[in-house]
Amino acid sequence: MSVLAPSPDKTDTDPLSRPSRRLPRLRAWPKGAWLGSLILGLLLVMALAAPWLSPYSPDERTAQPFQAPSAAHWLGTNDIGQDILSELIWGTRISLLIGTLSALLISFSGLAIGVVAGYLGGWVDSLTMRLADVVLVLPFLPLSILLAAYLGPNLWNLILILTLLGWARPARIVRSQVLTIRALPYVEAARACGATDRHILYRHILKAVIPLVAVQWVQAASSAILIEASLAFLGLGDPTQKSWGTILYYAQARSAFLTGAWVWWVLPPGLLITLAVFGFALIGLAFDEVANPRLRK
Amino acid sequence: MLVLLVASGLNFALPRMMPGSPLTHLAGAEPELLPAADRAKLQAEFGLDQPWPVQYVGYLGGLLGGNLGYSFQKHQAVSQIILTRLGWTLLLTITALVLATLLGALLGTLAAWKRGKALDVGLTGVCLFIESLPAFWLGMTLVAIFSVQLGLFPTFGAVTPWVTRTGGEWLLDVLHHLALPLVTLTLVSFPSTYLTMRASLTNTLGEPYIQVARSKGLSEGKIALRHAVRNALLPVATIFTLNLGFAVGGATVVETVFSYPGLGRTLYEAVLSRDYPLMQGIFLVLTLSVVAANLLADLLYPWLDPRVRTGNKK
Repeated sequence: MSVLAPSPDKTDTDPLSRPSRRLPRLRAWPKGAWLGSLILGLLLVMALAAPWLSPYSPDERTAQPFQAPSAAHWLGTNDIGQDILSELIWGTRISLLIGTLSALLISFSGLAIGVVAGYLGGWVDSLTMRLADVVLVLPFLPLSILLAAYLGPNLWNLILILTLLGWARPARIVRSQVLTIRALPYVEAARACGATDRHILYRHILKAVIPLVAVQWVQAASSAILIEASLAFLGLGDPTQKSWGTILYYAQARSAFLTGAWVWWVLPPGLLITLAVFGFALIGLAFDEVANPRLRK
Repeated sequence: MLVLLVASGLNFALPRMMPGSPLTHLAGAEPELLPAADRAKLQAEFGLDQPWPVQYVGYLGGLLGGNLGYSFQKHQAVSQIILTRLGWTLLLTITALVLATLLGALLGTLAAWKRGKALDVGLTGVCLFIESLPAFWLGMTLVAIFSVQLGLFPTFGAVTPWVTRTGGEWLLDVLHHLALPLVTLTLVSFPSTYLTMRASLTNTLGEPYIQVARSKGLSEGKIALRHAVRNALLPVATIFTLNLGFAVGGATVVETVFSYPGLGRTLYEAVLSRDYPLMQGIFLVLTLSVVAANLLADLLYPWLDPRVRTGNKK
């Protein structure tokens, strides 16, 4: 599909043509990456320290339902009397887990498929890339809704769905990079010197592709968190493992946003989702401009 | 072609693999509780008693004739339901797409122009933050503030129910209902156009012909309008065309929050009530429009960018 390769003149995509331009970008953007890491670091602490930070168990009915915030319940209670603050803190674990784990699977499968397709070429290449095209064209959210409804709302199924629908983009990006590198003079020189496929793959190709995959991981994590939240909001999340999206699902189902309760029931989980996605997006953008030769100026 | 075949196969297989029989929802009770004769009659009526290859051939044959089947739940032809919902969806999504593209292209141009300056950093930060907002949450928050607290906008639907209006009044009512979902959708979708435009214009500004224009002594404004922005808009145009395809699918989450009677929410309802034909129909229409948009983008691109045309002839 020609649209997926936007720029017809590829003279400036050669990663080695502008070595001197690499440094200024590195200095210009890390502020964003730092801010992103700080946000994610705080969220990670919250996720890891959930048992000590949260005042109650998220599943325990601790008080009357629909309580406004008080000294005992900083963010009030939900429709069955669970402490919303504790739900939020424990939800951090689930949301981050789904986001990072599915991103890991997405970028790993993308890396493997992209390298194999790009390096082997031939029918393996055409088969996997046709498949990638199909996956890329299918409407993402409607399909994940269908799949989530079919497979059943469960943490591992959600991760599986996100991976099944997400591998195509990194695979395509990795493949085109592999194709570029494979044709570079120094790789040909290595081959002429008698280097084995294994050596070329590890020493030259993987080395050049890993930064791209890292960026893909960060971007996949940011979109995975957002999509998990959307699915959970539609009632397709894991009911036994409450994530931020699940909290919002119950808030919507009980029409919390039509009452004053939206301030403590709807606002906080949404802000946390935004912060997590924003944190990953900041890092992703900062490193995309470093790792993606097309954006480097 | 391949995409279409895969999509229609998937389309047919997926809903059928789902747990839960449609009879559950049709009869309003567990099928086991129904007398056997009634159950068989219902199954025969909707063709569910036949083996699945027969069902599939029937499905494909129907598709060619433009027949998408009959919705169990809504007791209406699927094509009928899709047509009535499609109008609302397109009104919402295409308007949002146009607004988002204009806004994104405009801000992206500004940012690329001031690349690295405070304006660029600030705008990029803000856009990234807005892009991180979950669409449904933004919608809920807007409803809470503007509809519930301030009472400025209606909280749900596309028109005021049980009131018949005509002409200008009807139009106002529609716009009034459209405002909040439209703002939500525009806000969450413009940052990606912004980022594309920013990257594309930054690239274009580095091209030799811009330096030639500069050395000819042309003013910066003229260079921007005549030379750089025109070319930098190409990827934005491509994305716009591709997104037209997705626009048909609507915005499931936004439509759900606002109870907007669009196609996205209909798909969600169909999934919840295991309405196979409706699910298939909507999903097929979605895939078709995405494929059509891809084709359109492929056809438009050489027309927009002569460089591709000459490249092909070589």
